[in-house]
Amino acid sequence: MAFTAPKETYSGKVYSVTIGTGDSAVTFGGENVLPFHAFEGITPSRPVIAVEIQDVAPADWPETVRKPYEAVSNDPVAWAKFCQDELKARAVALRLVGTHPDRENRSPEDAVRTVRDVLAAIRVPLIILGSNHAEKDSAVLIAVAEAAKDRNCIIGKAQEANYKTIAAAAMANNHKLIAMSELDINLSKQLNILISQMGFEKERIITDPMCSALGYGLEYTYSVMERIRLAALTQNDTTMQQPLLGDVGMYVWKVKETSAAEADLPHWGALEERGIAWEAETASALLIAGAELLIMRHPRAIRAVETLIDELV
Amino acid sequence: MLIIGEKLSIIAKRVREAMMKKDKGPIQEIAVRQWKEGSGIIDANIGPAEDGGEELMKWMVTTIQEVVPLPVCLDTTNASAIEAGLQVHNNEWGSPLINSTSNDPERFPILELAAKYKCRVIGLTVGKGGLPADAEERAGIAAEIMARAMEYGVPLEDIYLDPLVLQIATSQDHAAKVIDAIKMFQEMNDPAMKTVVGLSNISNGCPRHIRPILNKYYFLMLMNAGLTSAIADAHEMAEALKEKQLFDDVLAGKQIDDAEKMKEIKKTIEVIMGNTLYAHSYLEM
Amino acid sequence: MALSGVEIFKLLPKTNCKKCGYPTCLAFAMKLAQRQASIDLCPDVSEEAKRVLGEASAPPVRPVTFGVGDRAVKMGEETVLFRHDKKFVNPCAFAVEIMDTLSEDDIAKICWQVLESEIDRVGQKLRIDAIMISNVSGDAGRFETAAKAVAANAAGVPVILSATDPRAAEAAVKPFADKKAVIYGANALNAEAMAAIAKANKASLGIAATSLDELAELTEKIKGFGVEDIVMDSGARKAKDIIEHNTLIRRAAIKKGVKSVGYPVINFMQRQDSLLEGLVASVGIAKYASIIVMSSVEKWKSLALFTLRQNIFTDPQVPMQVEQKIYNIGEPAAESPLFITTNFSLTYFIVSGEIENSKVASRLAVMDCEGLSVLTAWAAGKFTASKIAQFIQESGVEKDVPNKELIIPGYVAILSGSVEEKLPGWKITVGPREANAIPAFLRAR
Repeated sequence: MAFTAPKETYSGKVYSVTIGTGDSAVTFGGENVLPFHAFEGITPSRPVIAVEIQDVAPADWPETVRKPYEAVSNDPVAWAKFCQDELKARAVALRLVGTHPDRENRSPEDAVRTVRDVLAAIRVPLIILGSNHAEKDSAVLIAVAEAAKDRNCIIGKAQEANYKTIAAAAMANNHKLIAMSELDINLSKQLNILISQMGFEKERIITDPMCSALGYGLEYTYSVMERIRLAALTQNDTTMQQPLLGDVGMYVWKVKETSAAEADLPHWGALEERGIAWEAETASALLIAGAELLIMRHPRAIRAVETLIDELV
Repeated sequence: MLIIGEKLSIIAKRVREAMMKKDKGPIQEIAVRQWKEGSGIIDANIGPAEDGGEELMKWMVTTIQEVVPLPVCLDTTNASAIEAGLQVHNNEWGSPLINSTSNDPERFPILELAAKYKCRVIGLTVGKGGLPADAEERAGIAAEIMARAMEYGVPLEDIYLDPLVLQIATSQDHAAKVIDAIKMFQEMNDPAMKTVVGLSNISNGCPRHIRPILNKYYFLMLMNAGLTSAIADAHEMAEALKEKQLFDDVLAGKQIDDAEKMKEIKKTIEVIMGNTLYAHSYLEM
Repeated sequence: MALSGVEIFKLLPKTNCKKCGYPTCLAFAMKLAQRQASIDLCPDVSEEAKRVLGEASAPPVRPVTFGVGDRAVKMGEETVLFRHDKKFVNPCAFAVEIMDTLSEDDIAKICWQVLESEIDRVGQKLRIDAIMISNVSGDAGRFETAAKAVAANAAGVPVILSATDPRAAEAAVKPFADKKAVIYGANALNAEAMAAIAKANKASLGIAATSLDELAELTEKIKGFGVEDIVMDSGARKAKDIIEHNTLIRRAAIKKGVKSVGYPVINFMQRQDSLLEGLVASVGIAKYASIIVMSSVEKWKSLALFTLRQNIFTDPQVPMQVEQKIYNIGEPAAESPLFITTNFSLTYFIVSGEIENSKVASRLAVMDCEGLSVLTAWAAGKFTASKIAQFIQESGVEKDVPNKELIIPGYVAILSGSVEEKLPGWKITVGPREANAIPAFLRAR
């Protein structure tokens, strides 16, 4: 008896999003099937991994992930160039964590200078992230969106509390926008609706349903992503057809498994390998759930996930 | 359709304050209003009522029945508060209703009370830890509750099976599962089992202006599925009944004159049935 | 296909005699549909109805048990494609390959790693579940020797014997007769002989196909030889093919009721690079593998994979819970604030995350409320003044916070008076309703 493959066709399709300019631009999304289901539809682009850097030295990163960047991480420009030239990053994500009022409290002007310098130094697309402080992000992201005008960056993250100003800034300066809600598919849809009701094209949004690390609520992010993707495909829900972001590094490199010494927890195994595996496994689970854009930190985790993607596409 | 007026709940600030101060005025005013709006039972939700629950429930039952010729629904997790309420309840206007027993062993003693005082009881189809995944699981739990009711000597006619309505804003897939469960519950006995829902929970967490819309149309859908009673806002349900013909017309695919209303009904049905993902602005899409 | 309660009801006598312990036949039918009751409880059901029910109640993916005793692994019985629909039933098993070309010392070493792999995570015992011994030497004697070495060094661990030569399989299975081993390697050429060996030794049979078509043919053929405990390999090795094959198999079994692929799936993830191997394994964990075979055991890799498996196989209907205790966030001093919340894991993650964001070292008392969120737990009588008071007293946190202030969630502001009454000497402060207001709340203090 031959096997009849029960293939599915879907009514919806994920928006294809291009960031950056010229030869270095990258495109993700565009598929009309579940992740890596090329056997029943089209999957025109492979997921993109952006390498994360920040505006201030990463003193709060665990040693495992600080070490590979030791020589460059005091200077965002050198760091960005290292990612592009040495790590062959397809995109760089600059997190302006130093602007947080409880951190270095750098000003919007400081942030603009950093963004200008980084943009001048690299060709690959840039994702510009605030410090996740709703009020401060408004001020900072408005300023940097303008400084990055027409470089087709991604600006983020717009949340319920501050989406109006950030979306307006992204719109005025021709950027894409990350819309983030907290592990709630209905609020995620609502935020996309509110942003598009401002006149911001929904095809320019990237949805961030909020990441969580392996062992720390990953199943919530996984299922929200899977459900968003099913709504996009099976219900042809145009407010849920944005590519999905997994902001992996930030969530992974603060959990105990990425920093606890092997001497203290011998049954957990080698610390460096464990931290790298933690980031890579979180990323691969989210790819399977539907993420098209990942932000990651450790070069070896990134390389391993790229190799996995080679096998998946 | 039996409406159990929901407004006397500790969640409402005005009611809570009146309960704390034992101020009969607001309680009686709300009870009378719900009676006039068509409630057949008045719900008295005093919360977990750890301290002084007995006194409070007694006071609520007598305060309500002083002005309204209706039975009271005794709504608390505190079993001794329920018993205190049952002792003072005036059964002349109908037997009281207990809210609720379930498949959680902590709630079994409630059935003893129902048998002892020969009153009606809501059987909430949930167990310990975890929500039922679908209508079949709810029906499975209902079977357990029914078997246990017989063991305790509570006639099945006195059981109101409650499938547990969840918030559409966070558990959208359950809206349609609850409708299926209502259909299944009835078939579980002959004569059909009675059913009840805590209706307004469907729109809990939704913007104020869409709450009545969801409540009304969800109510009508459940009614079409055979629902026998609802803990609900009696005023809203009276409004819903006025719109029933329109609603059924839209459901049957007919055109109705009021284009706005038609869109509202259609979109709400789509959201309830899970064909469109819920968002607070779903009516604007 | 599984029958619904109403469909089963039609097969019952409809007498409502109550002899089964349920009040009505339909109530009993609902329990049967849930597979929570047995048809044998009904004394009056017809033989014909029993037969129909028996066939129909066979789950779409056949349950197969692998190994015996407390290390036995249950597989199959899955009912859905997506974990948010309903719990994935049986977590996949991890197996490590031991080639029969290895020295006895190396075999012993891997056996030891497997035995040592067990860890406790959130109350569950997790481990490398099984060993696959593979006949790469092509020699029956070596294979048997390796099997004996594994039986001696890893007693009780379920095994997979991978061989295509029936003589090799027969020799190696002896130490595992009646131990519910899996003999893997049945193909079009050896199916009959392999089936006979599996039957004789009460083992399951693993099919080694090279395509989905061939797989479906082989399962039917082997079933014809009287072996029903089957595990299936469609030949997929690349991650892309694993997703495709496993998805099509699961869909066919569950949505179309195709019996010829209604068995657990075994996937081979062996890679040179251990990190990559772990990532390919993650594809199998998420996408329907029942046995995942790897080439090595490393503690760091095991921990990550155990955790991912636990995440994916968590029941989405049962709220994840965190342990009841006082959690330190940052390095709290005597005057640091003390918050209380419930043990719903999402509540915990969000509250602790917001406290972290505020950069104010704090204590967070997490109270067991069966995984309910604050408001639901309060309404269900699990987050009440006396229970809060009892928890705080028993936790012993009092000695760490001399100013005895407890911050309760804004949603249960109503409790502040009675908690204060029940915790003499304590000051109860009402915190914000939503966690995202915590940083502002702490700044304003």
